[in-house]
Amino acid sequence: MIGDITYIIEEYWPLLLEGLKNTLIITAVSYAIGVALGLALALIRVYGPRPAAAAVTAYVEAIRGTPMLVQLFIIYYSLPAFGIVLDPLTAAIAAIGLNSGAYQAEYFRGAISAIPRGQWEAALSIGLRKWQAVRHVIIPQTWRVALPAMTNELIYLLKYSSIAYFVTVPELVFMGKYIGSKTYMYIQVYTIIAMIYVALALIASEGMARLEKKLSIPGISVTTPRQ
Amino acid sequence: MGEVLRVENLWKSYGRHEVLRGITFSINEGETKVIIGPSGTGKSTLLRCINLLVRPDKGKIFLDGEEITRPGVDEASVRARIGFVFQHFNLFLHLTALENVMLGLTKVRGLPREEAERIAKEALLSVGISEDLWRKYPAQLSGGQKQRVAIARAIAMNPRLILFDEPTSALDPELIGEVLKVMEKLAREGMTMLVVTHEIGFAMKVADEVMFMDEGRIVERGPPEEVILRPKHERTRRFLSRIWELYDLGVQR
Repeated sequence: MIGDITYIIEEYWPLLLEGLKNTLIITAVSYAIGVALGLALALIRVYGPRPAAAAVTAYVEAIRGTPMLVQLFIIYYSLPAFGIVLDPLTAAIAAIGLNSGAYQAEYFRGAISAIPRGQWEAALSIGLRKWQAVRHVIIPQTWRVALPAMTNELIYLLKYSSIAYFVTVPELVFMGKYIGSKTYMYIQVYTIIAMIYVALALIASEGMARLEKKLSIPGISVTTPRQ
Repeated sequence: MGEVLRVENLWKSYGRHEVLRGITFSINEGETKVIIGPSGTGKSTLLRCINLLVRPDKGKIFLDGEEITRPGVDEASVRARIGFVFQHFNLFLHLTALENVMLGLTKVRGLPREEAERIAKEALLSVGISEDLWRKYPAQLSGGQKQRVAIARAIAMNPRLILFDEPTSALDPELIGEVLKVMEKLAREGMTMLVVTHEIGFAMKVADEVMFMDEGRIVERGPPEEVILRPKHERTRRFLSRIWELYDLGVQR
């Protein structure tokens, strides 16, 4: 078994590396989209005019109520009917990013509603305009409250990025399947792939833990201290 | 001495509950007026109306002769001219004491950082917050320190008027004194102040006028020695006798 694993790594490392690269690209870009979209949606839902807030709610419910794979297929296979043709990688990033945006909107909304009402009133009372109060008082506190949930989301996305396989993006799982079909050593290949995911997840969670620590302010962060 | 604030026939109700029922008074420059009265009688709502956090149903409010309750008024610029000190301090939790005072100076007044810092430090020193506390976050300060930082945040903006909403009610008894002392100093230095409080000792010392509010109306008003020591109205007497009871128990024995 060990011998097989070393053999696969020695023989196929360029493919594994290419797969790793694509997995990282999908994860990083869709996460960034998810964070930006999620924060924007949460702010609209909390502070926006009622129709806009209702539209956000509908979006969140639609995304949460359908499988991510279906969303990916709609983007990849159905959008061309409307003249929008995306390459597999872009389609995967769009699907995962839009999906994550809906989930993160909920995390951020929770974080915003955890900020005491008095913070908002104090911000207005010194003469800040509403958008300034959001920018200088609400958002800096939102990050800090939402960080633990954001860490979870990053690790989810790392693993969900594998659905890009279904639209033929050569990411880790895709490469695993390919190498498996060449060598008939499926168990060994998927063991390697699994170990790569675990390593990435550990790195991600450690990185986010450091970020949390760096941003932590006495009295705000709701994180349970890590041992 | 010009008139800084005038409130004319202010009404506000939440559903069927009438919180304010025709409040009228004014404050001249440099005056300190104190509002006392049982809880739930609209004192906080009145302050919130003046600061435009709550819209009154009827009536007008003037700041320096300008009607601030008219439609289309620039609320933020009005609020920038009125300081507000909250019962629960409401310091910005993610900012240090110094940054709390600086935020309005840089973002509202548009001052450069260095100047904002200079003004903020001056304001903090004036309320007795020394340099060792400037970099502390609200969670690292005592209640009295938090409230003094909040007062510094208000005065740094050089407001025309500061509203105090029960500024000592959330404090441990031994911390009340330091906050009242700062407020007394402010009043003596000529700051125009409207203070909702149960601290009748403070009212006796610095108030130019005491107004007793009950059920949405100003029931009685006058110099502190009259309203507090010789109240004419039955409801004022009942309220004050309860306050005196507390004083007797707490202070003498």
